[in-house]
This record gives sequence, structure tokens and C-alpha cells, in this order.
Amino acid sequence: MVDVLDMQDLQVQQGDNLFCFSGALVEQGCTALMGASGSGKTTLLNTLAGFVQPVAGDLLWQGQSLLGLQPAERPFTSLFQEHNLFAHLTVADNVALGIDPGLRLNEHQRQQVEQAIEQVGLAGMGQRKPGSLSGGQRQRVALARALVRRQPWLLLDEPFSALDPGLRQDMMALIDDLQQRHQLSVILVTHDPQEALQLASEVMFIAAGGVYWQGQGDDFLQQQKPLIQRYLGALS
Amino acid sequence: MKIMPAWFWFSAAALIVLLGPFVLAGGALLGEVPRIDWSVLWQDRYLHAVMRFSLWQASLSTLLSVGLAIPLARALARRQFTGRGILLRIFSVAMVIPPIVAVLGIVVVHGRQGWVNEILRNLDWSAGSYLYGLSGVLLAHVFFNLPLATRIVLQRMETIVPENWRLVDQLGMSSWQHWRYLEWPHVRAVLAPVAALIFALCFTSFAIVMSLGGGPKATTLEVAIYQAVRLDFDLPLATMLSLVQLLMCGAILLLGLRLGRPADISHSLALVQQRPDARRAVGKYVDALLLIMGIALVVLPLSGIVLAGINSKWLTVLADGQLWLAAWNSLWVACLAACLCLFMAWGLLLLRRHTRHRWPWGASVLEATGMVTLVVPALVLGTGLFLALRNWVDVFAINLYLVLLVNSVLGLPFMLRVLTTPYLQLDSQHDRLCQSLAMQGWQRFKLVEWPVLRPAAGLGLAIVAAFSAGDLGVVALFGTPDMKTLPLLMYQRLGSYQAESAAVTAVVLLALCLLVFMLFERGIGGRRA
Repeated sequence: MVDVLDMQDLQVQQGDNLFCFSGALVEQGCTALMGASGSGKTTLLNTLAGFVQPVAGDLLWQGQSLLGLQPAERPFTSLFQEHNLFAHLTVADNVALGIDPGLRLNEHQRQQVEQAIEQVGLAGMGQRKPGSLSGGQRQRVALARALVRRQPWLLLDEPFSALDPGLRQDMMALIDDLQQRHQLSVILVTHDPQEALQLASEVMFIAAGGVYWQGQGDDFLQQQKPLIQRYLGALS
Repeated sequence: MKIMPAWFWFSAAALIVLLGPFVLAGGALLGEVPRIDWSVLWQDRYLHAVMRFSLWQASLSTLLSVGLAIPLARALARRQFTGRGILLRIFSVAMVIPPIVAVLGIVVVHGRQGWVNEILRNLDWSAGSYLYGLSGVLLAHVFFNLPLATRIVLQRMETIVPENWRLVDQLGMSSWQHWRYLEWPHVRAVLAPVAALIFALCFTSFAIVMSLGGGPKATTLEVAIYQAVRLDFDLPLATMLSLVQLLMCGAILLLGLRLGRPADISHSLALVQQRPDARRAVGKYVDALLLIMGIALVVLPLSGIVLAGINSKWLTVLADGQLWLAAWNSLWVACLAACLCLFMAWGLLLLRRHTRHRWPWGASVLEATGMVTLVVPALVLGTGLFLALRNWVDVFAINLYLVLLVNSVLGLPFMLRVLTTPYLQLDSQHDRLCQSLAMQGWQRFKLVEWPVLRPAAGLGLAIVAAFSAGDLGVVALFGTPDMKTLPLLMYQRLGSYQAESAAVTAVVLLALCLLVFMLFERGIGGRRA
């Protein structure tokens, strides 16, 4: 049986805006979350992760409600656009925090950290500080931490928008690789439809205060709905 | 000959006004050096006691203020409660409450007839007289510096980006781990400079030690300098004490600056981060206790002042012309000192901007200039000026102008702290644009600098004005019966056992300080402040 993440009329108040999200996400795949600026993409991610509390509705995973759980107890790891690392800790320590927030690791766990750093292509950089890394490398460190946390869902909030196009390609290839190797489920917020379709099989389009359209990536570009048309603009 | 641009003359004028008093005072003090009997320094028991007490009380005050400020700032950062905004507001004005007024508030709460003893008496128990001496000095210093340190630490904590909070939340860190990995690395950078600043302020504390200390057991160097000048007229001794104080205080401040960069004073955004550790139950009780402690140490004495001011002497004091004359003197001295201070600060910043490429070291010189006045205590500067000018003019006839000048110089570090960061930020953002549009001098000031820097300038003016209005330092040296300021009047009434009229005077003085503060902050800073 494939598990689903089920949003049941999840209502979230942000300032003057009330969002209402409904829909289900299937595990083990990549879903692209798209929509205009301010449409509520980040709000949705924050609600899933538990940083924002909904005012009504429910959020189910494997048939259980996640709403009563603390962020650390939920099956998600978030990757933000920036500020994913502690500048005063080494790369290895930043990754190790994903295993134990007090940095008390045994030998086996230390090896896990080492491996994760290797997998994201930063072998040998464990003792460096984030300040001496490039933007892309810093995001790789954050990904390595996501790997050691071993949570099934990875929430990516425009994690590459600060990177150069070339780097962005590399990072997407890495995510794709990690997603398949570790059987992760990825939710990716992005502004770039091409980036989205390259990585994601599913698209969830957020507009008008909720999930406006959901479907296969290939169908997305063909959609005639006015809000999607306007969003895609010249592309279609 | 090359014609110098306008900014050059502006900066030069500012530098002359700033350095003039130092050169005059320094020259005069150096003149006394040959007559100093240095053996006193090694032999005099009283002097040793004074030096020991100065160091001891300043260290304890710093330790208490900073030590309590950290958990208190944490409690304020993670709790949202009714009155939080007011509490922060009170904390930010506590800085500009005149020391002598604060002393009264502390006497009302902690004195022999004070509230604490009152409560204890009802419980058939008495704490007796614990106020005068070290404990009183500490209570007063904590009253001033706990809010200062709390605000700076809190501000620093608020610079932690929301992503970081979400991150530690998702990693499931405990409250202690938040502190260790997130808050401490942020806060650490400001701790050393804050501690150094508080140490310098306490080390040179005058009005508080004058009123709550006393005797060889509780006298600071600053008070000893005052006694040497005003009571014994022993100028070589005063000079020696000034030099000792300069050395000790300067060393500490330098150490603090080496260990970190000075914090900016700015408006605290009343923004509360949704902090993950706010949910835990134990923290709630701890925070409640900390907040109550903060209120007891800061808000209680403040309300003590106001309540003491409501007494039967109200009308008599207010009908007294002396009060209004003193109030008027305080008002104009404060306003002019603030404006003069802004002029000096602006001149220094202009100089720094224009010489940035030619003399990159100018930045550290500027910072040092701002700091020098923290090291040079009011009384040392006052004493030097007194010595320099006494052969030329009747010092007591122009006393208020001297007070004005000294206060504006002493306010400079605060003004610079408020103004420097926004000024440099503006400069780095718009300098190229301004150059390409050929906006220079006055145009640039009017269209770009002033509109953007108004809030900072307003806050700086407000702080300096309020601080000058309440200053009892230089004026104690120069005051005469018919040329008084409000703090001096209040001090004399307090000293001559007119407690009730002193209390009313205190309320008037407090009102005056808050008035000039708000006048500048709102009037110049604009509504955004």
C-alpha cells in the first residue's frame, strides 16, 4: 500500500489571509508546489512542518493526524532558501545535529555523518566552517543533514533560487539521485516551471487561497484555467 | 591655493568643538603633574580603599547587570504578555532617568522607612538599614544597567532569522541546546562590549555613589576627585586621581572593545519570534520569576518616585520660582547640548566618509574618538576645564555654558552609536547613485541623508538631551546658588533633609527628562519612532 499525506480542509490564518488547503500527496515521488508570489506555498510547507498551526481541518499521514505533534516529531525535514546552517559549527557538526541535537554521537553515527557528507559530494570538507563554502556547497551540507535525519519527506522551499543556473542543475541532479536512492518523498516549492517539471512528476498549483489544480506535470503546461495561464505567461 | 570643499570646513569646525575641551583640560591637568606627590598613591590607606571599592563595585554591578540581563532577555524574547510593550518602553527610558532621581526611587523602596521594610515589619521582621553602602550602590547600578543590557541582548537575539528557529525546532533541540547552538553564538558578540560599557559607567558613577555611598568604605575615584576639587581644593591630588581613573577605566574599555564590537543602540522591534521553547511548562515558571524580578528591580523604584512625589509639599514647591528657574536652565542646556552633540557627530561621520579611501584607518580613529569620552569621566573633564579657564574668566559666571559643552562631548559616544550604522549603511547603498546624479553637500543632505537618518538622529538627540537634563556631575563642580540646574536643586534638597520637596522636584525633573526625550524622538525622529 502506498502511504499518502492527506490534507483535509486545512485552514491557516496568515495576517489577513485565510488559506484552505485540501488534497492528497502520494509518497515516493516529487511534487512541485507552484503559484504566484504570496499565494501561500511557503505557508503550506510551514503548516506541514508544524511551524504554523492551522485553525481548522486536519493533516493525516499513514492514517494518523500530525497536528498534535511537535515539528521534531513529524516525518519532515525542511530545507530553506538560506540560513540552513549554524555558521559557528563545522560542516560535520552541522550534519551531526540531524542525528542528535546535543552532538553526542557514537562511532557508528559518526560514520553515518561521514557517509552523508560524501553522498552530497563534499568528501573531505567535514571540518570546514560554512563561511568558507559556496552557496551551493552550503545547501549540500543541509541536504546531508536531511539524509541523516532519515525522515521520509523532504520539504524544499526554493532551495536553489540563490544559485547560478549551472549549480542549480547539479543540485537538481543530486536531489533526483538522493530521492531515488533513499526513497524520499519530495515537495519542492519553485518559481521555475521548467525546473519543476524536470524534477517532479506531480504538480500542485496554489492560487485563490488554496489548492487550485493538482495533476501530472505534463498536463500542467496544457491547462487552460485562467489563473494558470496567467502564471505561466509567455511560456505556454 | 586649493579651495577646500564645504564638508571640510564643517568637519573641521566639529573637530575643534570636540577636541577643544580635551586639549584645554588636558593641558591644564598636565600643568599640575609636576606638583603631584606620587608617594600618596603607594602609601595612603584611604586612597587604596577608594580604588578597591571603585573596582569592586563596578565589577559586581557589571556581573549582576549582565548576568541577570541574559535570562531576562530570553524570557522577554519568548513570552508574549500584556504589558510587554510597556515594560520594554520603560526599559528604554530607564537609561535616561537622572541618577539622582533613581536614587530617590531606590530610597523609597529600600530605605529604612521604605516599602521592603514596611512589608517586613508587618511580618514582625526587619531587614534594618541595608541601603547605604555597597548594596545601595549595586541596587542603583542594576536599576540603570539591567535594562540597558537586557535591551541590547534582546535586540541581538531578535536578529536570529526565523529559519534558524524552525531548524532547531525540527531538530528537536531542548531549550538548553537552543541557547548553546543558536543564542549564545549570537549574543556572545555583544557581551564583552556591553560589559565594558557598563563597567565604565559604574566605575565613573558619581551621583549614585555620592548619595548612597560615603565614607572610605564606599567612595569611588570619581567622588574622591570631586572632594579634592570642591572641598579640599587639592588640585595636584585631583589630577593624580584623574590620571589613575583614566588609566584603569581606559584599560577595561579597551579590553572590552578588543573582545567584540560595540552594539548599536536602536529601536527594538517589538517582534516576538514564535520560539519553540515557549511551549514548555518549566520555562514558563522560570520566565515568570525572571520577569517579576526585573519588574521589582526596575519598575518598583520608578513607581516609588512618582508615589513619593504625591505629597503635601506639592503646591509649595511648584509655586517656588527657584524651581522654574532651575527647570528652565536644565531645559535649554539639555536642548543645546543635544544639538551641539549632533553637530559634532555629523562632522565626524562626514569626515570619515570623505577620507575613507585616502585614510582607511579613519574608521578606527572615529570609533576611538567616540569611546574616549566614555573613558574621560565628566568630572575629570570638568576639573581640567576649570583649571584651564580660571585664570581667564570667572568660571562660575559661565558655568552653564561649560556644563553644556561638557555634556555634549560626553553624549557623543551615545550619539555615534545611534547614528554610525545607519549612516554607513545609507552611504554604502547610495553613495554611487548620489555620485552619478551629482548630488553633493546640501542637496544630498536634504534629499537623501536627512529623511533617512531622521529617526536615528531623533533618538540620538533624545538620549543626549535627556541625559544632559538629568546630569549631576559637572554641574556639582560649577553650580552656584543662583545658577542651578534641576538635578543640583534636587540634590541639595535631598541633602538638607527636605525629603518631601526633593520628591516633588524629582517628579518635575523626571517629567522634564521624559518631555525632552519625547520632544526630540517624536519631533525630529518622526512618527515612525
